[in-house]
Amino acid sequence: MTNPDSPESPAPKAAGTALLEWLLPAGFLICAGWVVWHIPAYILDLIPPEDQSSFAKIKELHERKDITSAFNGVFGEFADIFDWLALLALPVLFWLGARGLRTAPMEFANWRPWDRFALFIGRVTMLMIVAMTCVMLYEVFLRYALENPTIWANELTLWIAGFVFLCSGLYAMQQRCHIRIFLLYDVAPRWMQRLFDTCSTLLIVVFAAGLIYGSYSQVFITKFYRWEMFGTAFDPPIPATVQPMVLIIITLIALQAVANLIADWNLEPEVHSDEPEPTEIEAIKRQMGAK
Amino acid sequence: MDIGTISLVLVMGLVALLAIGMPLGFASAFLALLVLVMKFEPTLLSAPWTLGEGLLTGRPGTGPLYILTQKIFDLMTEYVLISVPLFIFMAALLERSGIAKEMYNALDFWLSRVRGGVAIVTSLMAVIMAAMSGIIGGEVVLLGLIALPQMLRLGYNQNLAIGTICASGSLGTMIPPSIVLIIYGLITETSIKALFTGAFIPGFMLASMIILYIVIRTQLRPDDAPLPTPGPEDPTGRQKLGMFGGFLSLLLIGAALLLFLRALYFTLSGLNVLEEGEERIFLGMPDHLLPLAIAAAVGAVLAFGIFGRVRTMAGWQHGKGLVPPLLVIGVVLGSIYGGITGITEAAGMGAFAVFLIALLRGEASVGLLWDSMMRTLRSTGTIIWVTIGAAALAGAYTLAGGPSYIANLIVGSEMPTMLVLLTMMLILLFMGAFMDWVGIVLLIIPVFLPIVRKLPIEEIGFIGQLEPRHVAIWFGVLFCMNMQVSFLSPPFGPAAFYLKSVAPPHISLTDIFKGFLPFIGVQLLALAVLLTWPPIVTLLL
Repeated sequence: MTNPDSPESPAPKAAGTALLEWLLPAGFLICAGWVVWHIPAYILDLIPPEDQSSFAKIKELHERKDITSAFNGVFGEFADIFDWLALLALPVLFWLGARGLRTAPMEFANWRPWDRFALFIGRVTMLMIVAMTCVMLYEVFLRYALENPTIWANELTLWIAGFVFLCSGLYAMQQRCHIRIFLLYDVAPRWMQRLFDTCSTLLIVVFAAGLIYGSYSQVFITKFYRWEMFGTAFDPPIPATVQPMVLIIITLIALQAVANLIADWNLEPEVHSDEPEPTEIEAIKRQMGAK
Repeated sequence: MDIGTISLVLVMGLVALLAIGMPLGFASAFLALLVLVMKFEPTLLSAPWTLGEGLLTGRPGTGPLYILTQKIFDLMTEYVLISVPLFIFMAALLERSGIAKEMYNALDFWLSRVRGGVAIVTSLMAVIMAAMSGIIGGEVVLLGLIALPQMLRLGYNQNLAIGTICASGSLGTMIPPSIVLIIYGLITETSIKALFTGAFIPGFMLASMIILYIVIRTQLRPDDAPLPTPGPEDPTGRQKLGMFGGFLSLLLIGAALLLFLRALYFTLSGLNVLEEGEERIFLGMPDHLLPLAIAAAVGAVLAFGIFGRVRTMAGWQHGKGLVPPLLVIGVVLGSIYGGITGITEAAGMGAFAVFLIALLRGEASVGLLWDSMMRTLRSTGTIIWVTIGAAALAGAYTLAGGPSYIANLIVGSEMPTMLVLLTMMLILLFMGAFMDWVGIVLLIIPVFLPIVRKLPIEEIGFIGQLEPRHVAIWFGVLFCMNMQVSFLSPPFGPAAFYLKSVAPPHISLTDIFKGFLPFIGVQLLALAVLLTWPPIVTLLL
């Protein structure tokens, strides 16, 4: 919680950390956006296609889409200094952001060190929601107030939204807030709950494995490696990025499910109800009392 | 494997997986995989070592299994789906701002001397909040915190108070914009705008029936809703009416002036010079300038001439809490129906408007924003991933020929049409007691809608005739009405749990459900109206 008044954090330190909690995910988001946009450059430098025609096709794409086309490639012909710096910054920002992360009262309390991964992805996704809304409002303003619409805003919104939808699933898995029915589960003894959990985790892993087995070459070769675009005026690489992301996120969710199973193995049984979180009610009450 | 066996395994598998507490989205996703295996390579089940030899797994990395990825990808690039996180974001901001509390105070002032006034105010407030966003839950909590203490303090009948809060608080998904209708429209490929339009009259019908019930009940049994003792300074009913008139005139001036300025801007910048085939801008053409100016002038005469400055200003003092909600409704519904933007943009603008209002009220803070973003992320994750799982399952099951098999099964059984519909309603009500609406709309509707489409259309309903292109809309609204009941129905009606969390400890869950009973009756009555007179949804279409 970035609220500086929250009791668990000393006030003067909180403001600085709160700012970092915004800045690190934002920095990561910007670098990730840059890297994703310039993936053709990395493809050409690191794993160039062997046949000439596909090489030429991606080269043409890269030259059309390169933001810093005035700069020459470093360590190779295509990816320039900014591309490499952004790629380098990704893990650094991720590590810094995940390390300095603080959970909010509404979040799952019994979290483990490895949950920092999903939590940080969640923070980045939260910023993506805001970014997506801003892009959309900018477009609405241009189109209806100035009648001067962009060609990129709608598709950019769509593109970001794809990532928001997918990443939110990983976060929800870490938070154990996916919709489940606890009718039988809650009355079962703990050993049976463990058995149930093991079964559902296993089935999630089977689904992930099946999905990857059935589509890896379509997704990673046809869509990603050939860098399939959306085929519109702005032409964002939505199939080339969102389809691999489906498989990546499913894998991460399956891993997170296994991690959850291990983390919760020795937890006391908890009775679930449809009642909202006490922290949520506290927040609304505070708001009422303040008026 | 034939489709009958697949369907049977599917139903049993779903029950089993849900019973062991597997997340709904992943249970459906796994079953989608299972359906494809049963359809294309059943040998894999009896002899797993044959992996890589059959129709399904013969070509690793591609083949029929890729359909699942494709289905998920199609859903991810669905533009309307973006409105879901945006509406959630808007609701999260709304609940954390003081807008609701002020609106309640404003409404309470006008109706405090009416028998059952607080209950009516609660319902009205719920309707206004429902027209702003399309989520329930937070609404019930909010009403429970604001209105329940006051009703209990005034000595209102406890059951009446509880039932009013929860029945009205559930209206969020019935009155447009509604997130249930958005997901329904997505999964059935129905126009969401048409669904919203269709739900308008039934939604307001249900709201009026609830208010009517409150009025009749409190008139018959005045003890259920004692009037507060008037203070010596309190204005009388007549004075209030005058003040309210003044307030309404001020609203008229405001609205007319805003629209006038908008039309003026369009005219000056030449944006409303129509090209071939362009539609006229709603209230934004040069010839609209004069009527709008006249409307503003009439408002001014009414406010300052007829009602008088003092009365109008007093009315403004007590009514201004209603202005922000009305503005938000204007932005959201005005954008959709004024032909300005689509539903997704309207949701984004609504969220922005709420944020701006919170900013002007001095409530917006970095903490509020962060908090709302986090809640948006949580709710998005849960709703979208059930949708993903269900989209995969629906894709696989359709490929296996499931929906038409079931439709033929039902239609071939020669059951009377209305009996089929009634059975469906019963199943929906029953499922609603155990499952979230997201699960029902995603798992049951793809099976039910093809059946409804195959039913002889002239036998649907008793009064009036539905057109074939309106069947999906009618069924969507009917489904929504059904979900209203399921929010309240014991033993798991979510509204009860939301209220329980903020109610005084002496009110037990049983008390709460007891309070619901008459309101469930009202909802069933509204449902019956929809069933007997289907064309009610097409009145505005």
